[in-house]
This record gives sequence, C-alpha cells and structure tokens, in this order.
Amino acid sequence: MNPGIEVLLVDDSPADLDLTREGLSRSRQQFQVSAVADGAEAICFLRRQGKYAQAPEPDLILLDLNLPRKDGREVLSELKNDPQFTRIPVVIFTTSQATSDVNRSYAEGANCFVSKPGNFPEYAAAVQFMADFWLSLAILPRKEMQ
Amino acid sequence: MECIKQGASDYVLKDQLLRLPEAVRRAVRERQLREEHRKLLDDLARSNRDLEQFAYVASHDLQEPLRMVAAYTQLLAERYQGKLDENADKYIHYAVDGATRMQRLVQDLLAFSRVGRKGAERCKVDCNAILATALQNLQASIEESGSRIERGELPTITAETSELLQLFQNLIGNAIKFRGSDAPVVRIAAERAGREWVFSIADNGLGIAPEHFETIFVIFKRLHTRSEYPGNGIGLSICKKIVEQQGGRIWVESVPGKGSTFRFSLLAQDGRAERKDKQDVGSRAS
Repeated sequence: MNPGIEVLLVDDSPADLDLTREGLSRSRQQFQVSAVADGAEAICFLRRQGKYAQAPEPDLILLDLNLPRKDGREVLSELKNDPQFTRIPVVIFTTSQATSDVNRSYAEGANCFVSKPGNFPEYAAAVQFMADFWLSLAILPRKEMQ
Repeated sequence: MECIKQGASDYVLKDQLLRLPEAVRRAVRERQLREEHRKLLDDLARSNRDLEQFAYVASHDLQEPLRMVAAYTQLLAERYQGKLDENADKYIHYAVDGATRMQRLVQDLLAFSRVGRKGAERCKVDCNAILATALQNLQASIEESGSRIERGELPTITAETSELLQLFQNLIGNAIKFRGSDAPVVRIAAERAGREWVFSIADNGLGIAPEHFETIFVIFKRLHTRSEYPGNGIGLSICKKIVEQQGGRIWVESVPGKGSTFRFSLLAQDGRAERKDKQDVGSRAS
C-alpha cells in the first residue's frame, strides 16, 4: 500500500463525479479523492489559495474539458506551462470525442485522453482501469518533501 | 418577338391600345406571381435549413442528459437487482432498455444531421480505392456470411471521401445483412450515363416489395422487427442524404426473393464543368 496518493477530479457535473467515484471505489488501489467543479477552483486548489490552503498536492488529475469559468483547456495549458505542476499526470476525461480536442490536448501536454463512455458498466470499468493503470502500473513522479 | 427577347414582358400593338389596361394588369399580376413563387422557395429553403439545424442541435444536446439517465438506471439495475421486488427489477429493466435505445436513436439522428455539415473539401477520389477500404471495413461480416464480392471497374469522381466511403459501406453492408438462404453474392459496378456515372450494388438477398421502394429511404423506417434484423433504419436515409447533397439520385430495383439492386448517380469528373455554377450555389447554401 502506498499511503498518501491523491487524486483530483475536475468536473462540473455532480452526476459524473459520482459515477467517477463509483468507478474509483472499484479499484484495489488506496487513495484519497478530492473534487472541484470548475477550472478556476482547480487552479486555486493546486495553488493552495483561499479555502484550499491545506489542499494536498495531487498525484493524478482527471480533468473535464467543458467547464464553467475557466475551461479545462485553459487549466491544462496553465498546468503544463508551470514547472511546479508540469510533471503531474493529467488525464483528460470528457464527453468530447472531437479530433480537434484530442489533438490539442496532447499538444498542450495532456498525458492521456479518455472519452466518457455512454453507459454505466463501461464508465465504471474505464475509471477503474485508469486508477489501476496510473496508480499501480505506472510509476509516478516522486513528490517533493512538503 | 424581338422586343420580348430583349427583355420586354409584353408587346402591345398601337391599334390595340384599347386593350392596354388589360395588358398592364396582366403584366402586374404575372410579376406578383413570380415574386410570390420566389418568396415561397426562399421560405422553403430557410425552413429546411432551420429544420436541419434543429435536428443537429437537438440530437447533440440531448446526448448529455440522456447519458445520465442511462448511466444511473444501469447503476440502479446493477446495485439493486434482486433486492427490491420482482416488479422493481422489471421496471428498472424497461427504463434501462428505453434509455439505451434512445441513445442509439439520438446518435443515429446526429450522424444523419452531420452529413454535409463537416464542410470537408471535395476532391478527386478513385472509387476503386474507396471500395477497397469499404470492403476491408466489412471484412468480418463478409467472411462470416461467406459472401462473394464481384468488383467492376469504378471511375474517379469529385466527392467528399468519408461520405463516399460511408455510402458504399452502408449499401454493401445491407446487401450482406439482408441475405437470403444462399451465400450472398454482391456485385459492384458503374456505368456512364450522359454526364453522370450510375453506380450499382446488386445482391441476391431477400429483395424488397415495390410498395417499399420509396419508404426504405425514410429515416427510422424499417421493414423488419429488431429481433429479425438489428438496426434503427438510419443507413439508407444517410445514403440518400449523401447522394442528394452531391446532386445525385438514389433508387432501388428489386424482385422479392430474388435480390435488390441499389443504384445511385453522381456527376462525372468531365460532366462537372457544365454544372459548376449550380453546384457552387448548392454547396454554399448548405
């Protein structure tokens, strides 16, 4: 068991967040989950601003693209252009399947692009698979001492 | 006569000046009718565009809430199956079934309304290469059904590649899907007819009764139950839209029990010049 693994979900749909949590709960990996509902909140969370002063540094971010206030595309670009955050794996998890979104996300430095499946069994399986891959098989960058 | 050719809308002899008021009235009425006619055509074109836009927006925006309904009824089914009572299981099953069927319908409607929307460039395409790709994509069902495919020589035309591929794939896919008791034999060919090429996809399958020759091209029209043949009845309506957007026609000839031949016409490469202006106007409007 690897204690202290943190996953950050960025998604404005409470229903999707619950589906994602349900999928994550099926993974055998141990981790903490935090969630924020838009891009601006995500940036505050990562920069530990305001009410997020005590926020943990995530080991993995699941980022939706179409978000209110600050779009997921902007969040991605901001993270990948900031040396403090650029090493955190970002998985784009969105309903979009547009080639333009896929290409642009990878060009901006997304580590993976996954389209949200349209039905529950596949959605839960996709999330479980992502958790198993990123938090077990993949070797994540080591966090700096806090 | 000469004056009319030059643009006059009527011609009055001096000794018929008495009839002038009548001639003026007639000319005015004709002009009014022409105006009304043009206005009606404009209205019709606008209404068609609005309708297409509506279908696109509706099917696109319905997907999100529908995904929620489908996902959560499936979650309910998974978690509470056998824990409520028999009726609850049945009702949840109906809800899951309805939601997933509606998802497929909405996806199909979206695919239909996307034809011609992409604004992809039309270019010269070798139909032989398109056919080869279509057959490759259909390889599993060709092998599984033991189909024999007979390919004639096809021309090079100007078209949108992915739509042409879909056209061939839908028609050949149908030829295999609606097969009779014999192994399918599908013949693909093209013949020159004036400025057009007429393509044909002929099969030895179930065939279609003459009263259905038109209705099979209507969106969501099916001649069979879902348990006999799966599908939503979208394939041929997409074919029709693709062909008509390129200025062609599609039709079927068939004898029930003997097989069907689907034909579609597309403008030939060297037939294009004469109709270029008309084509350009058409593609701008869409």
